[in-house]
Amino acid sequence: MMERRYNVLTDEWVMISAFTQQRPTNPTTTCPLCVGGDEFSRPYDLASFDNRFPSMKVDAPNVESENSLYKKARSNGKCEVVVYTVDHNSAMSLMPIHQIEKLIKMWTDRYLELSLQPTIKYVFIFENRGAEVGATLSHPHGQLYAFPFLPKRIEAKVQSLAKYYDEHGRCAICDVVENEVSIRERLVYENESFVALVPFYARWPYEVHVYPKRHVSSLVELNNSERNLLSKVLKVVTMKYDLLFQQSFPYMMMLFQSPVNDVRYEHAFHFHIEFNPVKRDKNKIKWMASVETGTWAFINPKLPEEAAAELRSVEVII
Amino acid sequence: MNISQIIDLENFSDIDMKKIAGYRKEDGFELIVEIEKLHLGFKIKGYLKGYVDEVEVFKFKRPDKLLVNNWQSWGPSKVIQKDFQLNFPKELIQKFGFSASIMPESYFDNLLSDYYVASDRFFVGCLSSKVAHPYFQIDGDEVSVKLKYFGMNFNEWNETETIVILLDKPEVTLPYYADLVAKENVVNISDKRLIGWSSWYQYFVDFDYEKMCADLENARGKGYDVFQIDDAWEVDIGDWTPNNKFPSLEKVAAKIKEYGYIPGIWLAPFSVSETSTLFMEHPDWLVKDGNGNPKVAYENWNKKIYALDTTVPRAVDWLTSLFEHLKDCGFEYFKIDFLFAAAIQGKRFENVTPVQAYTQGLNTIRQAVGDSFVLGCGAPLLPSVGYVDGMRIGPDTAPYWDANGPDIGHPNAYYALRNALTRWYINGIWWWNDPDCLMLRKVDTQLSDVQRELYTLVSLLLDNMIIQSDNLSYEIDDGLWNVVSEYRKYGKRKVLLSGIMSGQYNITSCGVHGCDLLSITDLEKCVFTYSKDSGDIKLKKTIEIQDDGRRFNYYNEND
Repeated sequence: MMERRYNVLTDEWVMISAFTQQRPTNPTTTCPLCVGGDEFSRPYDLASFDNRFPSMKVDAPNVESENSLYKKARSNGKCEVVVYTVDHNSAMSLMPIHQIEKLIKMWTDRYLELSLQPTIKYVFIFENRGAEVGATLSHPHGQLYAFPFLPKRIEAKVQSLAKYYDEHGRCAICDVVENEVSIRERLVYENESFVALVPFYARWPYEVHVYPKRHVSSLVELNNSERNLLSKVLKVVTMKYDLLFQQSFPYMMMLFQSPVNDVRYEHAFHFHIEFNPVKRDKNKIKWMASVETGTWAFINPKLPEEAAAELRSVEVII
Repeated sequence: MNISQIIDLENFSDIDMKKIAGYRKEDGFELIVEIEKLHLGFKIKGYLKGYVDEVEVFKFKRPDKLLVNNWQSWGPSKVIQKDFQLNFPKELIQKFGFSASIMPESYFDNLLSDYYVASDRFFVGCLSSKVAHPYFQIDGDEVSVKLKYFGMNFNEWNETETIVILLDKPEVTLPYYADLVAKENVVNISDKRLIGWSSWYQYFVDFDYEKMCADLENARGKGYDVFQIDDAWEVDIGDWTPNNKFPSLEKVAAKIKEYGYIPGIWLAPFSVSETSTLFMEHPDWLVKDGNGNPKVAYENWNKKIYALDTTVPRAVDWLTSLFEHLKDCGFEYFKIDFLFAAAIQGKRFENVTPVQAYTQGLNTIRQAVGDSFVLGCGAPLLPSVGYVDGMRIGPDTAPYWDANGPDIGHPNAYYALRNALTRWYINGIWWWNDPDCLMLRKVDTQLSDVQRELYTLVSLLLDNMIIQSDNLSYEIDDGLWNVVSEYRKYGKRKVLLSGIMSGQYNITSCGVHGCDLLSITDLEKCVFTYSKDSGDIKLKKTIEIQDDGRRFNYYNEND
């Protein structure tokens, strides 16, 4: 069973997949991403491969809607596992800048290659780090979902950014960057091409967003110098997270690029990365509970300006 | 609406849109116009009833500079100033009138732009051409937005083509418009970004099977996807069987396949020469004039060429059989040329507009060839969206560069490249743009090294189709071919072109390995700077398919 079902209550698609149910929890013996594990028989540097337990497949079975109330569609997307390094004990915060730069190129290639499929509408690259956010493997890796539809929150971002552009004639994130660089209160880190900040509108206690200073709609449009600077930002932010509470800091890292096979919003959609960490203190979790899940309204117990000051004060050397 | 009111799009307010909306009764027809807000601007939809030859939807004030566009592949897409005047040689009007315009009766005495116009600050264009031909009449200080219906009678209310007004700079509005059109016409773009070889710009009609075999042999290691024989193989225009210079088409296709290439073939499926058997045997399959005689669509090959009536059921069967046969012979890439012929005005079996007749013909071909690659040429652009995989978007290139030649769709590398730049934004959205062939030979050409280099770089950086046309036994600019191969190792690119209104084109072309820049300060003189963003890291990708069918992409840094 692999299909999409339409929710008439919320105008959104839900992916139904029996494959993902077969997914292991935490392997106890060998890591499947290490050489000699289930997935790799030979050494590698970086790799991206089709998830063994996907919720979407390019050749997903055809489906027919039961009626206009219960609409179905093919889950003809793609789920890939994106392995950052062969080193099991590494992490974004521990990897050499050079390795992160290679990872950015790999992400770029995946985005471009998957966008050649006309049925793909959105390429979502992400990392779940730590058991607190459901990661089943500790080997440094992320994932990638190539959706045949525009997911609801992406649609909300696209529409909101387009609306701002219509009202102001400018990109909203360009304006946020200009303002934040000026007031500096919420900045966590800055280099020539990027800012990392706790946003004014942070939903999570130590949420950090990474924004390019120049308007680009995807990783692809970053030049090599900017990709190098982005790798430094990613390293710095994740190092600060780990050092904040002196622990391997659980987070969800999500890359938001403009939709693929649709260039209508590239002038308004500013590429950005969100870090959504679930910790609100060293031993306390900020749960995505009823209010957040049911209403999409977040209650952030941490003042963003305070979180930024704390993260800013964590010194790192790269 | 009182169409004497003229909207000023450069000093625009929402209230101006209300002047366009509403009901009006014209001589012979009724029209209802609706306005809908759209990101960046407005969408204008209409409903028509009655006998309609032409509808003027609204007028706007002409800006100093305007990007205008011709209806078909070969025609100019360029920026004009207020003092621009069309200079089409009178002696060519008879031969090529229908090539220049779907409305030659107006085209040569007026200043027209087909499908859209753009300025530094706004864009107005039509999202489709399914029934009507959308065009802009530029008259003094006004621009009139019109839909040509060629005398159609609508007994019921009929939805018009949709027009959009977008208020932003061209680098924003042009790609945005392209995407709106793709969505309106339900485009599913092919994932085949081909590199190939064509016989035309080396051999023209002096091409035969022996030469084909020699070039196939010399093409080893070039990395082509497709190998296409051009005009030279057929008995006559309309008689699409091999002449005595070629063996059977099955053998031609099989020979090409032996070398690992997709066999490609050229034909002009809507054209019928006065000397062809088809013309002799089936004059009833041709578009007629008012007296019921076959109507000349154009003159070429020193012959009069007539147009196939794509609405005649037996002609449709013939067209279907022709393409099914070519496909059965082994061809999977079809370059279909002189397509405008199907859209000439005239009497047809069915009472349809020339635009409808054209799309019916294209649809017949698409149905016959299935998912084979179809490259359109000499084609009305907007009605072709959704039917072809690739499209020529400029005049024929040539082994010469003449910036002072007539800008009327005649072969010329300079204008071919100009159009590749001015129509950049539709690439990868409507289809894959074909900027026409690269000629990389160092002999038997008047192109200079720098002209050859610029043509190659523009085609690559714009991520267009790449088709080489050289006798491969000649001395070839291998350095440039290596650049081509390097660029095409990795997938799709993201491209932004600015400067279209100034003629100083800046291309930012980004891929896996970084963002390359090409700044053309003087296209006529080929003055440009090219900056390659190499970076320190070169990733090499290796793909492996596992026993369970899963794909693994390995990325390693090059040694």
